[in-house]
Formats: sequence, C-alpha cells, structure tokens
Amino acid sequence: MFDSVQDVQTRLEKQGYICDKRIATVVFLAHRLEKPILVEGPAGVGKTELAKVVAAATGRELIRLQCYEGLDEAKALYEWEYSKQLLYTQILKEKIGEVMQGTRTLREAAERVGQQDSVFFSDQFVVPRPLLHAITTEQPCALLIDEVDKSDPEFEAFLLEVLSDFQVTVPEIGTFKAKHRPLVFLTSNDAREMSDALKRRCLHLWIDYPSEALELKILETKVPGIDRKLAEDLVAMMQRLRQVDLKKTPSIAETIDWARALLALNAESLGEEIVKDTMNVILKYEADIRKAQQELSRMMAARTPAGAASTPGAEPKPAAKKGTLH
Amino acid sequence: MQRKIVEFTNLLRKSGLRVSVAEAIDAFEALDELSIEDREVFRDALRASLVKRGDDVPTFDQLFDLYWSGFHDSLKQAFEQAAAALAEDGIDMERLLDRIREMLESGQMPEGELDLSDLARALLTGDLSELEQLIRQAAAQSGVARIENMLQIGYFGRRTLEAMNAEGAMRELRDLAARLRAAGMGDAEAEAIGRLAERFFEALRQSVRSYMERELQTRNFDYMEKFRREALFEKSFYSLTEEEIARMREVVNRLAQRIKNVMSIRRRRLKKGKLDLHTMLRRNMARGGVPFELVFKERRKDRPKLVILCDVSSSVANVSRFMLQFVYSLQECFTKIRSFVFVAELGEVTQIFRDHEVNKAIEEALEGGGVINVYTRSNFGMAFHTFWRDYLNAIDAKTTVLVLGDARNNYNDPKAWCLRDVHAKAKNVIWLNPESPSAWGFGDSVMDRYLPYTTLAEECRNLRQLSKIVDRLVL
Repeated sequence: MFDSVQDVQTRLEKQGYICDKRIATVVFLAHRLEKPILVEGPAGVGKTELAKVVAAATGRELIRLQCYEGLDEAKALYEWEYSKQLLYTQILKEKIGEVMQGTRTLREAAERVGQQDSVFFSDQFVVPRPLLHAITTEQPCALLIDEVDKSDPEFEAFLLEVLSDFQVTVPEIGTFKAKHRPLVFLTSNDAREMSDALKRRCLHLWIDYPSEALELKILETKVPGIDRKLAEDLVAMMQRLRQVDLKKTPSIAETIDWARALLALNAESLGEEIVKDTMNVILKYEADIRKAQQELSRMMAARTPAGAASTPGAEPKPAAKKGTLH
Repeated sequence: MQRKIVEFTNLLRKSGLRVSVAEAIDAFEALDELSIEDREVFRDALRASLVKRGDDVPTFDQLFDLYWSGFHDSLKQAFEQAAAALAEDGIDMERLLDRIREMLESGQMPEGELDLSDLARALLTGDLSELEQLIRQAAAQSGVARIENMLQIGYFGRRTLEAMNAEGAMRELRDLAARLRAAGMGDAEAEAIGRLAERFFEALRQSVRSYMERELQTRNFDYMEKFRREALFEKSFYSLTEEEIARMREVVNRLAQRIKNVMSIRRRRLKKGKLDLHTMLRRNMARGGVPFELVFKERRKDRPKLVILCDVSSSVANVSRFMLQFVYSLQECFTKIRSFVFVAELGEVTQIFRDHEVNKAIEEALEGGGVINVYTRSNFGMAFHTFWRDYLNAIDAKTTVLVLGDARNNYNDPKAWCLRDVHAKAKNVIWLNPESPSAWGFGDSVMDRYLPYTTLAEECRNLRQLSKIVDRLVL
C-alpha cells in the first residue's frame, strides 16, 4: 500500500483529492499501525470524501455504515433472515417428514429436529450488515462509519468492541474474525463529544477549512474548466466569508458548487450582481445571506478602483441569465 | 527519544490534557513508522496519536513549540545574528571558518596536535544540533529543573555557561588564533578570529538565556493553565470579566450537551411500552402473519418542558449575562423551552434566542431589542404578576420552571401568591440564587417569602455549583 507520507499525498491527488501533509501523515499512520481514524471537522470539508478516495487509491472496497439515532446491532452487524427461514421450512416440509420417520415419541422427534437445527441457523440465513461484511470480506476493505456522533451512546460502546479486535460473535454460529483488518474511518461533526474510550482507540484527525492556496488547488482540480482569475476571486471571497459570523459557514463543498454554478452561467468574473444572484448556492439561511451581502458590498467597494474595467463588461450577461437560477 | 516523549506526554497531562498510556505507546509506534526529520510530520504524528479533542489542539501546539521545536530555531537565529554582526565588521564568517578548517586539516600547526573541546569544535564546524545537545546537558547539570521564576534565569544561565565551560572554549579559540598566526595566517584574519570568538560567546549566552526562558515557560505553563481553568470553575459569577464570560461559553455548552446526552439515554430506556398489535401484524405480513418481529408501542416521550425566568437587573449584571448564555445553550438542546427576562417588566426572548447567534441574542435581550426596560429597579413581584397574568396557561404538569435571580426586590410587594399559583400548576419550581443562603431574607431580599413555593432552591454562585445542580436536575 502506501510507502511514505509523500506517497499518500500523490496517490490521493491522483484520485482528485488535494490534501495537506497533516492529513497524509495521519492516513499513512493509520494504515501502518492498523488503527481507525476519527475524522472531525465542520461539515463539507471532505471527511467522507477522504474515506472514499483512500479506498479508491488503495483499490479497496468501501463499505459504508451511516449512523443515525436509533441505529442498532441488527442494522449495523447482522440480522437473521426470518422470512427465508420460514420459506425454507415450508419447502422442506416433506423432507422434514422423512427425517421424522420412525420416531415414536415426541421426545425422539424433538431430538431429531435438534440434530438438524444447524441447517436453519447457518450463514445462509444471516444477512450481513456493513460491520459483519467488513469483517468477513475476503479482500482487504475500507470501512467508513459515517457521522458516528449521530448514533446513541450504547451503539458507540458496541462499536468499541468491534473496533478493538475486529471480531464478532454470532451466538448460533460462532465467532467471525477479520482476515485483514479493514482501514476504518469514523467521521463526526461534533454533534456530541465521543467517549474517551473510543477516542483512545483511534488516531485523531481534525480537518479544518483549507488555506487559500490549498482551496485554490482543490477548486482547480474539481472544476477543471474554471478561469484562473475567477477561481482566485472566488476563493478569496470564500475565505473572507468564513471570517463572518454565520449560522452555517460555507465549506469547500459550497466553493465547488458555486464555481460550477458560475461556470454554468458563463460568468467570467465576480460582479456584484452575479454574486448576489448566486448567493443562495453557498449560504443556506436567509439571515446569513443578508449578513454576507453587507460584507460583500464592503468588499466590492474596496475592490472597485482596481477591478473597475472588468465589471461593466461582465454585468449585462448575468442580468440576462437572471431567470435561470430562481 | 522515548524518554523525551514520555516527558512530553507528562507535560501534556499536567496541562490538563488526558493522555493515556495506550496513546503514548501509539505515539512511539507512529514514530517508528516515520522519519522524524520533517518536523511537521513529527508534530502531526504526535498530535494524531496524543490529542483527541479539538479544544486541546491549541494547548498542544503551544507546548510542542515550547518543548520541541522552538529552541533549535532560536539557536539558529542567534548564530545568524552573529554572522550578520560579523558581516557588518567586514568579516565573512563562512569563509573565515572554512579557512580555519583548511589550515587545521593541512597540518600546518607547529606545536603538535590541537586538542579542542567539544564546544569549540561544535562552534567551529557550525554544528547546531551538537550545540543544542551540549546546552541541554549543561542546563540539566546546572539543575534548571528547579527554576521557578524570572529572577532565576540569570543565575541558571551563568551556571549553565560554567557547566559547559564556555569561557574555556573562547580561550581555546583565541589560542587557536595565536597559533594560526604563527603558522602563517595573516594578522587581519587572526584578529577576525578573535572577533568571531566574541560574537560566538554572545550568541551562546543569548541561546542559553532563551533556553532558560523556555524551560521556565514549560514548567509554568501547566501551572498557569490549570490555575486558569480551576479559577474559572470556582470564580464567583459576580466578578467575571467580559473575556472570562466568553470563555465560559464553551464550558456551558458542554454542560448543556451533557444534559442532552443524559436525556437521550433516559428517553430510550423508557421507549418500550405495550405490544403494538396493528403495526406488528403489518410488519410481519411477509411471514404469513407469524409474529417473528415484535413491535412495541413507543411510550410517550417525557420531553421536559422548561420555562426559564432570568433576572437581568444591574445588581446581577454579570451573573445574568452568564446565565443567559446558559439559557441560550439550553434552548439549543431542547425544543420545548420558553425563556423570559425581567427586571420589573417581563418579556419573552425565546424567539430572539432562536433567531440570533448567542452574543447578538444576549445583546438584544439586554439592551437593543426593546424587550423590556432594563434600566429600572428590580421588582420580582411585578414580574411574577405579569407572568401569572399572561403566561400561566403556558404551564402544565410537565413543566419545570427555572428562576434565576437574587430576589432583591427593592422593598416592593413580593406578590408571593403569583409564584404559589405557578408552583401549584408546574411540575417543579427551581430557583437558582447567586447569593448564599445566609443572605436570603436579609435587607431587601425576599427569598424567604418565595422559598415555600419552590421545589428546590440552591445557591448558584459559580460553575462548579451550577454543574452540580445540573447533574441533580437531570439524573
């Protein structure tokens, strides 16, 4: 797999994921030490994406477990397929008659059935859920446990057990042990603090909003056709917006969405008009949009002397396209 | 290396980070896998394995700089300065050093072999890592671990320089200059070596000093940080500064989060009720109606309803600012909550808290929003009466009423009967008073009049008391 931190960085980059050295270091360590990574950070900075690209870069299958309130073992680990069992019993009724032939007493019959019960509690009737799947899979895989902070504390305790030994016991069948330890990513939005026990077992990675240079690089990778100048302006503006106290701070995901939207509108530069029209791509609350607009006018006012030449040319276009967004 | 990491984890622990032995072992293993040449990678590896909470990252970074990286940099800086100073005198340090080395190697020395000390050798070769090592050793010898305050920096600095025999090394250098002159070096160059020795000594002295300062900081860091944290917990709300109130916010948030966690567990325990026949039949249709999967009715969730009355008069100005933060956090956690502020008038701020971020919300509630006139004198009686008249129907048997205030009524009519009616309708009435119980009922305090109509009345003067009460409330 990965040979060095540098190797991680280049291979992730090949998958279109630009990351700084910090992320690469942690991924490299997680792979070498076979430890899960707990990825935390604001929404939309690419936590889930990281797991996906690492899986892709290493050619592993990605198994995803989405957490939510009320998620339990039956949905995360395995479940018995009752209806299939029932169906089989119906079909095999005659066969069962044969097995029962020659038994006289009830006790004898029950014993006969007892000898056969492994048929009904075998792998055949187990529906593997993501966790069991990750453990039993033949090839090494990557396991993504998404938004683990949304799950209940009980489920977290159960996860601990799985994550520490990668083995699971199904009472009726036996113990499954992982052939290869999966590469585990746990993501959290910090909705609640995870228990110390869980954190202790993981490497911790905090992904923050990217620096301006990094964001520019990400943008150019994700939105290939974008004009250099436009990309620069856009990133500068996003960086500025993150300083404003907003309800929901726009993230990288929003930067990319916005760039795509602008591209679709054939915008060549960031005029005040077009920014106003497309603001709802990056901001999701009315109050935020109002606040951002104030900030924006301030920014534009500061910029006008330099950018005065380009603005008039760009303006007619967005006005004509106005209808497309709303 | 291992010892240094253990020492570093100890340092982290002393500063209030929770680092377990298992995590320290992870750090060792991590470093085995990486080359530690790159300082950033080294830092990232330590951070990923030792620090598990976003809040702790700044502390870690500060300590990391203090402990690992800073000194080498300042050493480098000191010697770069020395080089710059020499350049001003018209001396090229690099060339001079090269020349010395050249002379030494060519074996032109007349009086046999030259026996240089480690320090002099390190200085001449510009080996900063070796120098750093020497300084560390000498500092340890001088007993720098005992350093306690700024005044001792000079003392320990001198002792360290003595321990590494800095004067001796300078003599060696001057001696060397004399010999090199004898071996045929120009006078100007030989003189330059004397200058070089002076500058080196100065640089060394500076580096040792900065090492001492650093040492003092690491030792004091944990002490200061711990002090700050504890103080925050113990400090009376009355004497909080604006900055402390801001810092309180995260603590309060965590408190509120804990309430929510506990609530969610309790809710789930209550969940299973009677068998839900309808849903069960539908759900098990696929198995011919054989009830493989049992479905239970969910019990009605006993979500707490909370009504908060918060006194924001000037007598409790600081307390109320803080309490409003608490109320705000609570409101983020619970859905069925109504918040009111009062001085003499009473006004609802639920919507304001919902619409604005915390600082703005508090500002609005206190001044800008025109919710109530805050520049009057407190009148609990009037406020309770308003509440009784307008909002009594908001209270039912599931509602807990939380009153935050000092009950200093400025000799107005307390109208305790209003609270009596509220108490009769509500599940609980809880009063948190920033004054100690011994002051209740004295002067213009009418706490004693209200006391019979509360389920629980507690002194709540600092964070520790608040968190204790919160625990009692939810458990």
